[in-house]
Amino acid sequence: MSEIQIIQTTLERTARRRRLQSAWRGLWHGLFAGGALWLTILGLYKLAPVPEQSLTLGGLAALACLPIGFLAGWWRKPSIVEMARWVDGKQHFQERLSTALEVAGQEKAGRWRDLVLNDAAGRAREFDFRKSLPYHLPVIARWSVLILVLAATLGFVPEYRSKDYLQKKKEKEVMREVGKQLAELTQRSLERRTPALEPTQKALGEVKELGDQLAKLRLNRTEALRELASVTEKLKDQTRELGKDAAIRKLERAARSQTGQSSQSPGELQKQIDSMQKQLGNPNATPEALDKLQKELQKMQQAAAGLPDNDSAAAQQQKEQMSQAMSDLAKKAEELGLSLPSLEEAMKALEAGQIDQFLKDLKFAEIDLEKMQAMAKAMQQLQTEMAKLGKDLAEQLEKGQAMSAQSTLQKMIEQLKSANLSEEQMKKMLEEVDKASKPGSQYGKVGDFLKDAVGKMQQGDKPGAAQSLANASDELKKLMDQMGDAQSMMAMMAALQKAQMCVGNCQGWGQSQGLPRAGKGGKPGRGVGTWADENGWGTDYVEQTDRWDNSGIERPDMEGRGVSDRGEGELADGLVPTKVRGQISPGGPMPSITLKGVSIKGQSKVAYQEAVTAAQSEAQSALSQEQVPRAYQGAVRDYFDDLKE
Amino acid sequence: MTTEEQIQSFRQTWENLRAEIGKVMVGHEEIVDGTLFAIFAGGHVLLEGVPGLGKTLLVRTLSEVLDLSFNRIQFTPDLMPADILGTNLVVESPEGRREFQFQRGPIFAHLILADEINRATPKTQSALLEAMQEKQVTAAGEIRKLAEPFFVLATQNPIDQEGTYPLPEAQLDRFFFKLIVGYPTGAELTEVLNRTTEGVKAQVGKVLDGANLLELQTLVRQVPVASHVKDYAVRLVLATHPKTETAAPIANQYLRFGSSPRGGQTLILAGKVRALTQGRFNVSFDDIQAVAAAALRHRLILNFEAEAEGVTTDHVIAQVLRDVPRDATAVAA
Repeated sequence: MSEIQIIQTTLERTARRRRLQSAWRGLWHGLFAGGALWLTILGLYKLAPVPEQSLTLGGLAALACLPIGFLAGWWRKPSIVEMARWVDGKQHFQERLSTALEVAGQEKAGRWRDLVLNDAAGRAREFDFRKSLPYHLPVIARWSVLILVLAATLGFVPEYRSKDYLQKKKEKEVMREVGKQLAELTQRSLERRTPALEPTQKALGEVKELGDQLAKLRLNRTEALRELASVTEKLKDQTRELGKDAAIRKLERAARSQTGQSSQSPGELQKQIDSMQKQLGNPNATPEALDKLQKELQKMQQAAAGLPDNDSAAAQQQKEQMSQAMSDLAKKAEELGLSLPSLEEAMKALEAGQIDQFLKDLKFAEIDLEKMQAMAKAMQQLQTEMAKLGKDLAEQLEKGQAMSAQSTLQKMIEQLKSANLSEEQMKKMLEEVDKASKPGSQYGKVGDFLKDAVGKMQQGDKPGAAQSLANASDELKKLMDQMGDAQSMMAMMAALQKAQMCVGNCQGWGQSQGLPRAGKGGKPGRGVGTWADENGWGTDYVEQTDRWDNSGIERPDMEGRGVSDRGEGELADGLVPTKVRGQISPGGPMPSITLKGVSIKGQSKVAYQEAVTAAQSEAQSALSQEQVPRAYQGAVRDYFDDLKE
Repeated sequence: MTTEEQIQSFRQTWENLRAEIGKVMVGHEEIVDGTLFAIFAGGHVLLEGVPGLGKTLLVRTLSEVLDLSFNRIQFTPDLMPADILGTNLVVESPEGRREFQFQRGPIFAHLILADEINRATPKTQSALLEAMQEKQVTAAGEIRKLAEPFFVLATQNPIDQEGTYPLPEAQLDRFFFKLIVGYPTGAELTEVLNRTTEGVKAQVGKVLDGANLLELQTLVRQVPVASHVKDYAVRLVLATHPKTETAAPIANQYLRFGSSPRGGQTLILAGKVRALTQGRFNVSFDDIQAVAAAALRHRLILNFEAEAEGVTTDHVIAQVLRDVPRDATAVAA
């Protein structure tokens, strides 16, 4: 190896080492920078309401500092000349290496070139780059570790947030959740059933839009409450409009009662019952009898678990007793018409002395019995339902069983269309339709169509009668669609009210119970001085079994009792106004009514906050509908806002 | 003779010279080395110091160890240029004819001691300008070459200012080094007393003749200098130029004029000599730094502020050396 090669090799190795060292130092610098960045962001986050995303971004940026630092150190490859100068300076080689590199290419240097190279090569041989560039932790490593420790410690320090900020944050979360829930509910409702009426579809669309707006936090709390109240009012108006139709009201009542729940015709129900009966066998196989049998089986299972597994006399005796009991049980099952093959196999296993198999078979027998019991119960329920169903069209219409009535009408149409309808059958049908025309008159034009059908049947116009019956069926369907719309809107209204409570009380969707409800039928209950919706439409149907709670009852279309047009006579004695102050005039004092107080015993089950929110929501609704004179709107708003605070 | 042998010869001569001079001179190693640097580089030296410090003795000793012709000129206010350079005299030939004949002055020697050079008038001082730079004199309309090697070793007294004429800048710039001769230490003074008061006179031998000296001067100039070392010398000189982009802050504050290019030449040449004396074959930053003060101190002109504050050119040079990085492109450690 020539002298210049020795010098160059030494310098190249040193350059590599130095580059690595530089990258190593860069890594620590990166760690320091990243740590400092993270510490700063964490500190900021702990002190100020910086968005949480900034922590993620800061963390990523801090992590990125490490490879960046490493690469920054690694990136610059020192040239061999630079290294020569660096080594000269570091080792006090008096510029021997750098001069040698320079002179090496100068032929004119002559003998001096050899002398310089020889001198420099001697120094290069002595130079050990490992000693000059040892791997050790740079000074900044200490600071980096300190910063990391500080950051870790700071992580345990709880962040400071003002009450206002926390409140606003929670409000936003609640609004987002409420918005999502509203939009989702509406979407599901629309997917399940497309509204028949355009206004309903439009109203539901508005609810969905409002939900989206809330989810995207485009509204503040006050605006959200106002919008919710406004949309709720619109829905209420539409529902009320639908509720004016007596036919729909009747259908709705029937739908709420158990009699209107079945969507099957009596024939279909009977078919199901017969099929179940056939599977069960004997009509005596009632759920009670099966339950008794099951209990006996369970007792036997317990006894069998204690059976000794040997051939002693006592064991033999016990097995005989068990065998006897088993045969009694099998006899009872046979009497009930039940087919339990597992029971017979269990007996065989007992006779063979296979206790484990015996227990297994007993278990299978129990499972079979459970299945039969469930079937018996289902059959009993169907029988009950069957009993409640109207026997003929008139009865079905009377009970508001629209589905069954439609089904019956459909059958009649098919019979009329078929060629082999006997005179007797025609007469019977005529009588049934005639009888149904009176209850049918409760459902708009249904009565007229039925009468028309009777006339045509009397004239022997079978196709005409079938058409009239089809028209009646269509009319019923139309009414049911309208009722479905109303139900959708009511469900949506309940959701909106719950949303108001959530936003008003700053509670999550799952936490909120919705607005406090009136009792059965929405009528004023045992409380005195309650405010209630008296038309029976638009209230919910949840049975209230607890004590009457009158703190949140809605009165959407009513003014205070004091100015009600229903007359003083209808008020409870305790509610008769005794003193009226002021006049209703812009700029004048607020009218107020003093009522005799009635003490309601017991503790309120509604939280103050919820009650206030309900009242505020109601007030908001009244304000948005211009039910409060303009001059008093500010005062009303301030009053309820103050209550909230 | 090969280069290695020449270098060996240089080092041997260097050691012998120092040893011989050391027999007479006590202490003042820096002054002796500086003077020898200048001689091997082919430059002139201005020695400044209070009387009695051995300036003249050093030059006299040098004349003895170097096998060269030596002349001493004592500069006085009435000294005329012709007294230095020589003049035409009317002489009568054997034939009885009278004709002008040039009578050579004391400048016609290899080694000139210009003692107390600042006592002569500027006119007389300037008589040396051509001799120092061109190594020739022009007298009576005729150019006469001086024998090489030619050195002027001048001395001046900094304290006795009355009746003196400070050397003009052009004159100063022609000196390779300006060496400040300081007081000896206690031990040195004791040795001086021992040597000078006991009647024993040290005998010094001739070490180097003119031809050899010229060869060694040629050798010195062949010492390679790396580009970044040259660059350092250049940056040092540029840093002394006030009111320029490259000026060091202290130069802007205290200097009226900076070093001429001769300053840069001096740095490199002196560096080369130093490198050889240190047994190296290349010039280093240390060499440049070591000779910077002697090479630049007489080439910088201080401003009024510096004079008022008592700042010397040595202060300025020291600060410039601190301000200017050795290698502008070196990788940071």
